[in-house]
Amino acid sequence: MTITRLIASSAVAAIVTAGTSFSVNAQEREVKLSGFGAMSGVVRSFGINSKAALEAAADEVNKAGGVKLGDGTKGKLVIEYFDDRCNAEEGISVARRMASSATLVGIGPTCSNVAEPLFGILQKKVGDAGDSGLQFPVFTDVAIKVGLAKISDWAFRNVPDEGAMYRALFQWIKKTQPDLKTVFGGVEEDFAHSRATWYAVMKEVAAKEGFEVKGEAKWLLADTNFTNQAREARRAAADIIAISAHPFTTCGMLKEMGRQGVKPKLVIGLTSSSSLETLQGCSAEAEAIIIPTSFAPVTPEAQAAAERAAKFNGSLDLHSGAAYENIAILKSVIESEGVMAKPDTVQADRAKIRNGLAKLTETKGLIGVSKRTPDREAVKPFLFVHAKSGKWEVLHTPTN
Amino acid sequence: MDFYLGLLQIMGVHTLLGLSAYVVLLTGQVSLAQAGFMAIGAYVAAMLTVLSGWPLIAALIAGALVAGFMACLVGFPALRVHGLMLVVATLAFTEIVRLFFFNFDYQIARGSIRVGPLGGEGFRQIRYFPENGWTTLHVAIFIWSVVALVMAALWWMDRSRAGAVLRAVGEDEIAAQSCGINLTAVKVSAMTAGGAIAGLAGGIYAHYTTHIEQTNFTIMVATFAIAYPILGGLSSIFGTVAAVVFIQGFLIEGLRFLGDWRNLLFGALIVLVMNIRPSGLLDARTMATLRRLFGRREG
Repeated sequence: MTITRLIASSAVAAIVTAGTSFSVNAQEREVKLSGFGAMSGVVRSFGINSKAALEAAADEVNKAGGVKLGDGTKGKLVIEYFDDRCNAEEGISVARRMASSATLVGIGPTCSNVAEPLFGILQKKVGDAGDSGLQFPVFTDVAIKVGLAKISDWAFRNVPDEGAMYRALFQWIKKTQPDLKTVFGGVEEDFAHSRATWYAVMKEVAAKEGFEVKGEAKWLLADTNFTNQAREARRAAADIIAISAHPFTTCGMLKEMGRQGVKPKLVIGLTSSSSLETLQGCSAEAEAIIIPTSFAPVTPEAQAAAERAAKFNGSLDLHSGAAYENIAILKSVIESEGVMAKPDTVQADRAKIRNGLAKLTETKGLIGVSKRTPDREAVKPFLFVHAKSGKWEVLHTPTN
Repeated sequence: MDFYLGLLQIMGVHTLLGLSAYVVLLTGQVSLAQAGFMAIGAYVAAMLTVLSGWPLIAALIAGALVAGFMACLVGFPALRVHGLMLVVATLAFTEIVRLFFFNFDYQIARGSIRVGPLGGEGFRQIRYFPENGWTTLHVAIFIWSVVALVMAALWWMDRSRAGAVLRAVGEDEIAAQSCGINLTAVKVSAMTAGGAIAGLAGGIYAHYTTHIEQTNFTIMVATFAIAYPILGGLSSIFGTVAAVVFIQGFLIEGLRFLGDWRNLLFGALIVLVMNIRPSGLLDARTMATLRRLFGRREG
């Protein structure tokens, strides 16, 4: 083979290869979705689990053939994940980075103190030409503080309704254990979610259901000493202790309560603490704690999803379970709205996804059907779990 | 593009924060109160635009004035302590301010919703920029115009007698006093100017993040405030800008793709830079070289 023929055949091969790859690209485009949340710091486990859930769910969709785009071609879901360190400024920066790229939807954040400013920089009312806020859909999986999606028409959440959960829980306790009359709270004061859940949810609901609220002990997310708080709990001598805190300080408080011999008849925990971290941190002390949650591996779909997430080095709980569900919801919206996923249709695709999400009245979740509210929140099915021998076991499934 | 403009906004606010500490550091005082002044400026300016409907610039100036006034009040008792004791005293001030806003509720009804600060849950809907049609570019230009004004004022001050006096106090208090310099006036003035600049930074911060809460103004912010001028060097105001670009642009944004490793590298790179450039990124020698390069002789 002469040099000339070698060059000519190489050129032909290169053209054929390029043509083939172009043809593959033309038939299977990339649909870019970005997750973001805390991958570092005290709440890093939430980000790690959400990332694993997103990747597992996208992998499942891609293995099943991908998503059908508006022009009939197939799209492959591509996930990237950003660490916002649970910091408002970084969360905004990450949102701007995503909005500047081909990302169609942002899924996150972990922390409510990031979600609030982030939703604030989004356009408040869709179509308002006078509002220069970002026109970028965000579909939150973790940040759970009550009522955040109403901040912007571009903000959607798939997080449980804690008001309904704790109302059902206190009603159930009242019915099944009528001898329990008093409640004492423990609240992680400097975390938006835990603080709001105690003051705006647990405390109010307990009082409305006829329980006497005997006050609350307060601590901070980074606290490691709970001596005074446990002493306050002992002094209150309440039948129920309701701890509105994340796994790290929940465990600290439970351990100190054990050390001081504080033995309430019942302990209730925060939704976010129905996770593996609590069992890893204080399995013995958390024994019998009751927590309402929107995820438990109680259906074949939930079990399969949990196994898939584990393969991506994550654990499925109520938050990462929502991230997993978000991918399935987005797949159906992308298909129903005819998203094109082309470089020149990014903004139009975002608007289609926003409109598609806004139209939803219910979605299929891992443990049942969730309803969607007009203010872009979810009303998810839930159940009560309790810690038993180092595992979360379903205690009761309310008719919700 | 939007992302880079957003990054410019962040850098602008952090530059103001660094400059607020720069003024105080010139007099040899290390203050961790800048986060407290920033919080005061943030809450005052946000309350004025959201609750009272003030125009932004007037609200920012009011926030800066209140923060400066508080800094002046803090300056007098702080004069009684030096060195590490001053660090502890100013840190205590920042914590007092943070805890004040942690418990500060002042909401008014606006239509069907209530707006204003709500203690630990923070102060949301500070949406002056988007509601008035300011794009990211407009906001970035505005912030850097403010930064340019403050830098020009400090640059002029640095080259005037006032700057020489500040540096003289910072170099040797006793020698400065023996030359007839009123230490109290100089230190309180520096603290006041620093407080006002931090308050300005806070006011802008509140409006570009749209939500503030007490956790935004912790010891970490105070540490960053003094880290910028120290890392950048006290020879010139441009050192602070260089340090902000290094930390916010490179360490935080540039290395985000490294995930967990970013946090490990963060501290290590700062230590490395401080070892390589012990007098700051832009020390006196570098500044002299730059002046020569740009055709100006040392005065």
